[in-house]
Amino acid sequence: MMRDRLIKALATIPIVTAFSMSGSCAAGCPYGLVNDPYPGHCPRYIDINGDGLCDLSQATTATTDTSTSSSDDDTVATDSIDDSTNGRGHDVDVVDDPQNASSISDTGDIDGNLSDDGGGYYLLPISLLLISGYLFTHYLFSKGILSPKKHRRLWNLFVTAGYLGTGVTGVILTFMVNMGVKTALNPSITFWHAEFAILMVIGTLIHIHLYWKPFKNIFKVLFGFKTFKGEFKRNNNME
Amino acid sequence: MVYDILLPSLPFIIGYLGTYLLYRGGYIKKSMHINIWNLILGLIFLISGGGGFILLILLELGTLLPINIHLLYWHVELGLTLVLITIFHFHTYWKTSKKMFTINNGG
Repeated sequence: MMRDRLIKALATIPIVTAFSMSGSCAAGCPYGLVNDPYPGHCPRYIDINGDGLCDLSQATTATTDTSTSSSDDDTVATDSIDDSTNGRGHDVDVVDDPQNASSISDTGDIDGNLSDDGGGYYLLPISLLLISGYLFTHYLFSKGILSPKKHRRLWNLFVTAGYLGTGVTGVILTFMVNMGVKTALNPSITFWHAEFAILMVIGTLIHIHLYWKPFKNIFKVLFGFKTFKGEFKRNNNME
Repeated sequence: MVYDILLPSLPFIIGYLGTYLLYRGGYIKKSMHINIWNLILGLIFLISGGGGFILLILLELGTLLPINIHLLYWHVELGLTLVLITIFHFHTYWKTSKKMFTINNGG
């Protein structure tokens, strides 16, 4: 009886955690930032109210303001949050140009809806698609239908596309964050950066599998490591 | 927040030029030069790509962790370095890279 209760109580923990997690993250900063100043840490920066702080990072401020509205002391509430932000040890910059920040807020409405979501990058479907694609071409290659050269070339093209897409979009995003450029394209670039990155990561793992021998060679040449097979043969005087 | 672009790239540019010149001068083997940069590429990829991948999973799950912002910072900084080292990788394997884009090479 006691055991059943304990199991039931423990079983509710992940459900409660999941609900509280989704509730706290629905409209907040996906990176957990509080009062992120202009130009922001990431391309999701949005400032509709024009206070020079990212609105997504102010989710806490909104709730605090409403709770303290009865005491008519909003300034104190905001200041206390600012202090807590500094206390976290992040690089929180002071807004140098509030006018600039407010001008950015004008474009905020355009991509506000898109930049608000924290997910939707199809991580699992794309990963599964790529892995199944590789298994399929590997099967064709092992059966002799696809030549080893073509097999390698096909996946080299995929990994190149992944690196090229991720690199180009990543550099664009970094420049945009550095210069505080906010366009309607930002969420799309972030989306494609993530999509290409999935291709890059899975593609790199496939690339390592395809070039397993040269990969092992890195450790052999640089650190003098022997392969396990070679070590086994040497230890057992099989060479 | 401003990300450094040139500062993290500079040691790698100098380093690549250094090992390349050492290999061209016959001081080190070509395999040594290639494997050094393959290892660096692998390590940078592991931190930047792996970090980005973890960040993406956390975003998909909607999980907020205190490490997220540090992960984002190093993901960007090392990501820029990864771009540079990928260009070096293409330079190292230029002949095979060129073949990749040709349609009929007997493959």
